[in-house]
Formats: sequence, C-alpha cells, structure tokens
Amino acid sequence: MNKKLLIALLFLAFPALAQTESQWVLAESTLTYHVSHPLHQTDGVSHAARGKGVCRSGQCDFLIAVPVKSFDSGDSNRDLHMLQATRGGEFPMVTVRTSLPQEASASASIYADLEIQFAGQTAKYKQVPFEQTKLGSDTKISGTIPATLSDFKIEPPSLLTVAVKNEIPVRVEMTWRKEK
Amino acid sequence: MKARATKLVRGAGILMLLLLISEPLRAQAAVALAGTITNQSGAAVPNAKISVKNVSTGQSTETQADAAGLYSFPNLLPGDYEVSASAEGFPTMVTKVTLTPEAQQRMNFTLRAVLSLGDLGFSSTQTQGSAQDQARLDKRSHMLKIHQRLGLIDTAPLVATVIAGAGAGGKQTSTSDRYLHLALGSVTGDLYFLSAYYAIRAPRIAGTQARGPIRLHKALAWIHGPGMILTPILGAMAFDQKSEGERVHGIAKAHGAVAIVTAGAYGAAILSVSFKW
Repeated sequence: MNKKLLIALLFLAFPALAQTESQWVLAESTLTYHVSHPLHQTDGVSHAARGKGVCRSGQCDFLIAVPVKSFDSGDSNRDLHMLQATRGGEFPMVTVRTSLPQEASASASIYADLEIQFAGQTAKYKQVPFEQTKLGSDTKISGTIPATLSDFKIEPPSLLTVAVKNEIPVRVEMTWRKEK
Repeated sequence: MKARATKLVRGAGILMLLLLISEPLRAQAAVALAGTITNQSGAAVPNAKISVKNVSTGQSTETQADAAGLYSFPNLLPGDYEVSASAEGFPTMVTKVTLTPEAQQRMNFTLRAVLSLGDLGFSSTQTQGSAQDQARLDKRSHMLKIHQRLGLIDTAPLVATVIAGAGAGGKQTSTSDRYLHLALGSVTGDLYFLSAYYAIRAPRIAGTQARGPIRLHKALAWIHGPGMILTPILGAMAFDQKSEGERVHGIAKAHGAVAIVTAGAYGAAILSVSFKW
C-alpha cells in the first residue's frame, strides 16, 4: 500500500517539478552601440536597461528594455540627433525578447534567437552567440548583436554630408541574478 | 423496343454521372474543429481569437472563444490548415493541423503569457512616445542641418573676404579692391546670420544638458557672434576713411584684428564638432 502511494506521489511530483517557476532579474548592464564615420568612431553607452526572465516548464522567456535616450555618447548634440534619427520621440524604448531552454544556464555559450523592437520596427536575429560566466549567484552574459540601421529602416545620419556606416554593432554585458 | 433500350442506356448514363459527382462531394463532407484555449496554469482564456487558414486554398475563417475558452469551427472541409490563436497579453500561437473526414476533431491551445514593460517597472510615461515629441526632434534636426550646411558654405566667402582684405587695406589699395572686399564681407555676414538664425530658433529639448564638444562650439559663438557684428561696423568706418583719402585711424584700425579673431573662432567652432578630440 505504502509502495503504491509512493509511486503515485512520484508521478504527481514530476509535472509539478516541470512547472516550477523561477525568475531572473537583470542586476547590472552595459549596452554599447558603435557607429562608424570617416571622421568619428562613436560609442554610445547605456546602463539603464532593465530585464526579467521567467522560467516555466523548462523554458525561460526574457524581456530586456532600455530607453533610447539613455544612451550617452559623450556629446549631447549627437545623442539628440541619434534620438531623432531612431524616432526615439515616438518609440522611446528598445525591447529585446528571447526564449531559452532552462538548461542553457548551465553552458558556457548561449545561442539566442532575439526579437528586437526599435524605432517602431521589429528585427529578428538568429543564433546570436553570447558567453556566459558564473560569478557566485550571478551570471554574466556578454556578446555582440550584429544590428544594422537598415534592419530598423533608419536612415543613416550624416555629419558634414557624409553618412555613417550601416552597421551599428551593439555590445552587451549583463549580470543576471536568479530569484525564486 | 429500340426506344426503350435508348431510355435504359440514357438512364444508366445519368446514374453513372450522379455516382461520379457524388463521390467527391461525399469526400468534401464538412468536419468540425473545436477545442479550448487555456493559459499555462490551466485557466480558460476568454475571448481569444482563433483563425484557420486552408493551406491549399488560402481561405481563412475566424472565430472567438467564449467565456469558458471554448471555440468551434463547425463547417470545415478536410485538408491541411494553419490554426492561430491570439489573446491580449499573449503572443500569437500558430500550429498546423490536417483535418480528416471525421465528424469532429479537437485542438487545444495553451497560451504562454509574455512579460511586459510594466513588469520591468517602467512607467507608461517612460514607455509611451508621442508624435509631437518626434515632430519637435525632427524640426530641431532639420533646422540644425540647415545651420550646419549654411555654416560650411559660409567658409568660402569668409576665406575669400580675408584674402581680399589684404588688397583693401594698407597703402596700395584701389576702390575696386575695397568694393570686392565689401561685397564678399556682405555675403559672409548674410550667410552667417542666416545660419545663426537656424541654430538659435531650433527647438530646445527639455531635460537635456549640453555635454561634450557642443559646449565648446556654443562657447566660441560668444566670440564669433559679436565679432560678426563688430567687424562690418569697423569695416564700414575704415571704408569711409579710405574713400575720403584718409589713413585708417581710431577704432577702425581694429577692423583687421577683430576680423581675424572672428574668422579664427568661426573656424574653430566648425572644427570642434567635426573631429573627435
């Protein structure tokens, strides 16, 4: 009788374990976009990103968002021009969504499919590689998103009538903390 | 006898034809697709939208789940379908199904909720943009582009004015040299003030503090701005003195020096926003 009860409990416990919810919270972040121009190499940095990940049934859904105006290139005039060119007045947030299997947190490399909303457009990037390192209870993620201006239908801004390059790679460095 | 045989053959023919027609009709008999829409915790998702698209014909039909999350398509033809379910707060879920000529088929959907910007603690004022804000930024950029272009174009008459100034001053001068210098100086001044108008009138963006090279660019305007007013005034005095056969004297003697400082500050202002330093 006891054996039967134990087996029944085990069967009940498995789906319950699979449904276990855990959360990840973005503790720190540095996002850096790089713009190339014949006269300038510019980096715009933001530390204002917020993010959350919710894991259910072995799958984790992540959302990371950052205000467009939080990027600082060291020149307020250029930042305002960037805000205008990327239609930041109308679409003030950049959001990144991705979904990863829960076991991905155990590997050193992650290949994520990203869905990025920026400047009123949505672009998808397949299998973007990220490095993952464990630091105590924190997990550090770093990588580069190969974004381009044309992905978001942004007209390349120009300086002295010369347009910037289409490629605007975004370097991502994030520290995630697991919460129960 | 012959007529009877003909009738018999005709009757058999019609029967055959009916049989041939009825076979595909029987195969095309309507089937029903039904199911429930729930969330991850098993609760019904009311009013979800479900649409089915016949892959071969491209024809779509849509329905809405009831309060208990139940939906049904009672009259579908057998075949391959793309079924999509969507509801507020959930991403659209798309799946494929092949309907066989059975009376009813079931397809249940479990929608996964997505995180929202509110879950990240952003307020609606932070996440909601406005067309007016964008229009203000657009106007600002447009006006500053004109300012930049006019400013760059103005360097040509400015340099020409400085060069022509060498012929207009000193002992060896002619009236035509002075008029050329005056004309070039006038073009420089007009373009300068037109360019300045676009910079001054460009809308300010609230909550922005000047940082980086633009601070030097603006600071230099306090030198070349007054210089661009003072230079033609002193130039006009020098012009009059020369035209009356006098040597340039008094405050008018500063015309050349003020012009050089103004041109220098102007050039530095352009360079300050052109190169990284």
